[in-house]
Amino acid sequence: MKYVFTVFAMIFAVFLYTSSSLNKTAIAFDGKTYKDAFEQLDLFADVLARVNNDYVVDINNTELISEAINGMLLSLDPHSSYISPKEYKNLLISTSGEYSGLGMEVTLDEGFVKVISPIDDTPAKKAGIKPGDFIIEINDESIFGLSLSEAVDLMRGKPGELVNITIARNNDERIQFNLKREIIKRKIVTYSIKEGIGYIRISQFNENAYQELSKAISSLEKEMFGSVPGLILDLRGNPGGLLDQSIKVSSAFLDGGKVVSTKGRKESDNRNYNADKGELLKEVPIIILIDEGSASASEIVAGAIQDRKRGLIVGMKSFGKGSVQSIIPLKGGAEGAIKLTTQRYYTPSGKSIQGKGITPNILIGYFPEDLKKKERKKEADLPNTLPIETGEHQAESEEIIPIDYPPNGFKVDSDYQLKRSVEILKSETYADKLDSST
Amino acid sequence: MYLLIKSSILKITSIILAAIFFTLWCPYLVAKAQISNNSQTLKKLELFADIFYQIRENYVDEIDDALLIQSALNSALNSLDPHSGYSSASDFIEQKKREKREYGGLGIEVSLENEVIKVNHAIKDGPAYMAGIRTGDMITSVGGNPVKGKTLAKAVEGMRGDPGDPIKLIILKPDDTKTELTVIRQVVRGRAVRHRIESGYGYVYIETFNNSELTEDLIDALNSITQGLNGDLPGLIIDLRGNRGGLLEQSIKVSSLFLNGGEVLSAKGKKPQDTQRYHAEHGELFPDTPIVILINSGSASAAEIVAGALQDRGRAVIVGRRSFGKGSVQSVIPLSEDNGALKITTQRYYTPSGKSIQSRGIMPDVLVARTPDTGEIKKRLREYNLPNSLSNKDDTNFKEVYEEIIYPNDDWNTSDDFQLHKAIQVLSLKKYHEIIEKNMNIGNLN
Repeated sequence: MKYVFTVFAMIFAVFLYTSSSLNKTAIAFDGKTYKDAFEQLDLFADVLARVNNDYVVDINNTELISEAINGMLLSLDPHSSYISPKEYKNLLISTSGEYSGLGMEVTLDEGFVKVISPIDDTPAKKAGIKPGDFIIEINDESIFGLSLSEAVDLMRGKPGELVNITIARNNDERIQFNLKREIIKRKIVTYSIKEGIGYIRISQFNENAYQELSKAISSLEKEMFGSVPGLILDLRGNPGGLLDQSIKVSSAFLDGGKVVSTKGRKESDNRNYNADKGELLKEVPIIILIDEGSASASEIVAGAIQDRKRGLIVGMKSFGKGSVQSIIPLKGGAEGAIKLTTQRYYTPSGKSIQGKGITPNILIGYFPEDLKKKERKKEADLPNTLPIETGEHQAESEEIIPIDYPPNGFKVDSDYQLKRSVEILKSETYADKLDSST
Repeated sequence: MYLLIKSSILKITSIILAAIFFTLWCPYLVAKAQISNNSQTLKKLELFADIFYQIRENYVDEIDDALLIQSALNSALNSLDPHSGYSSASDFIEQKKREKREYGGLGIEVSLENEVIKVNHAIKDGPAYMAGIRTGDMITSVGGNPVKGKTLAKAVEGMRGDPGDPIKLIILKPDDTKTELTVIRQVVRGRAVRHRIESGYGYVYIETFNNSELTEDLIDALNSITQGLNGDLPGLIIDLRGNRGGLLEQSIKVSSLFLNGGEVLSAKGKKPQDTQRYHAEHGELFPDTPIVILINSGSASAAEIVAGALQDRGRAVIVGRRSFGKGSVQSVIPLSEDNGALKITTQRYYTPSGKSIQSRGIMPDVLVARTPDTGEIKKRLREYNLPNSLSNKDDTNFKEVYEEIIYPNDDWNTSDDFQLHKAIQVLSLKKYHEIIEKNMNIGNLN
């Protein structure tokens, strides 16, 4: 068998030669590191041979290799994973457009399917499904043990059909819902006027984010007779989405200049993303609301607006996911794809968000202090997460800023963070804070 | 954030060239792995190589190839069953040390009481004993760190380490005098067997089979019991409750002490030629002494081998609860050079009557619970509860029948050992011999 190795090594050497003669600046193939890699693949084959030969019962090799693939990717960080061909198809649907379903964002929480939030104007929202509900049965069948995509498949299907969902709420309460599937158009931007201040909420950064935002802004301008005295951009609970949309959204409020930069392993992968010239709401004071659920693309927007002093960030410290995942299709998607962390992103001042998040200029709590137990998980709490970078840009001292919690008796539903934001925009605090922000 | 990879055409060209090479590698891998069902496996291996390549090239940080493959192997082997896995070279060395018990310690058995470490037993001539520590002493500080506020595991952490290193302890004697002592760590072997005389019978407790001198210790213990009973041993209780197993060799030797030749155990692998049979030596220690073995859901592996052998061969009556059910053998296969080792399940254990221990465990002849019946079914973790554990086709006599379990009365003082109490009763009853005879008949039928 070592003979075969030599033959392949020779073929490889030929490849090396041809590729390097094509272009000297192409990736340098270091013969030695590749030798190591092949030794490791060799080890893998060795183990496979042993297991095939000696394991107490016959084994399924394809399953075994699948497990190996998963293990390899999950060992990298919490966001890198294998995507099966079917999941890959779903992914293409969920970032692009419409689907027929019930209209809720779901996640897997310790083996249970949990509702992150029902989408506005969908069967799920109208029926009263709430964030934090656990879906335990679909059409009277327990879904425990199903993967997230299997559960989602059960909920999606022909529009107009009924789907019976059993929800567990507050641990013990079981509630049945009979929902009719609809074409779900993800309307991700909503707007309203709050006490004379413009309010826009972006719930995620899919490919319509910027388009819907600019529509919402022109509607606001129309409804407020051409003058918007202040804008609150609500990114709370927004888990992120597409990088280019976060750049476009930031661009709406910046007249050119830096928005974000990404750095990969090789310097040639580093990129700077700039805003387009011209902004939509020139000189209008802006507050961006964030919380522990604001991640990734949300943090890019908040970081750019904060670093460029275009507005104030209000709320609680954000999630801290400062890494970019690339979807790399395998055999054009026929073999699925991998989601791989390829870059970290940096705010215009050069700060990495990974593990640290964006600290608001003004810290305001949503829940009264004694309800803080509800604290959500942050990136830095995830197992095996990318480490926080320590560099010259990170040398700031951890200064303790007091948090403004809702007073006793304040109704949580009345949204203290929003109420305070309106007050700040209407007072001199806004200008003072913006001037003193670093 | 899904940023589709965009690269220059040249870069793509080189990537494709390298990827082709990784893929070309696969038929060689399949051939090497001697896998029969070729085409599907080949396809999957190609995928594996492709992903391995993508990670090497595109991951945000540089990744050690060896670590990557280690994670892959770990995950693959763990998916086989709960006892299979992969160890890197350094883990492997550490494991071997642990198995040989090559750690330095102080030679004391301890527990945590009122935020101090209590010495329950100081092994005679062990390092702590030589320094003047005796059973009943309290330890308030280990290596300069106060014990107060720590868990037992955290508190004793400083006691273990390299042999030869000194460690400072602050000791509180029962008469409230405080002394500071320096103890030199030595390689100490834990006490394998504890024994006493219980209602005129011999009682031995074996905590683990992970001790290469267990059988010798057991013989010593039995001798000292018979001496205490003026040379007579009217009955013996072997307590294997909570015993997680250990060395196979020791379980055969211990069984052999009480059997006059004959089969103790067989281990069968995938191929018939892999079957191994283990036999007892001729001559037994106490041929006429009735024996009761105590087991519970924590008794596993080597403990189940002893209980199964003595039960099937009609040499002991088993009392307690159904055992854990770990009836599989793992082989440690060292890989070439510095590539660590792989631990995979290669065989299953069968008792002399040919029953597999895997998943079923050993069913006691007399089912006895430790605490009164509160009507609440306590969940006990057994092998078959573990994710993807190996199953057993033979499910006869598998579930404990509720009506057959003997519970202590509600007024039973639960700090007293009801199972031991019942074991003593069984030794003195006619029932003992009835059970033995019945088991012998079952054994003969097979």
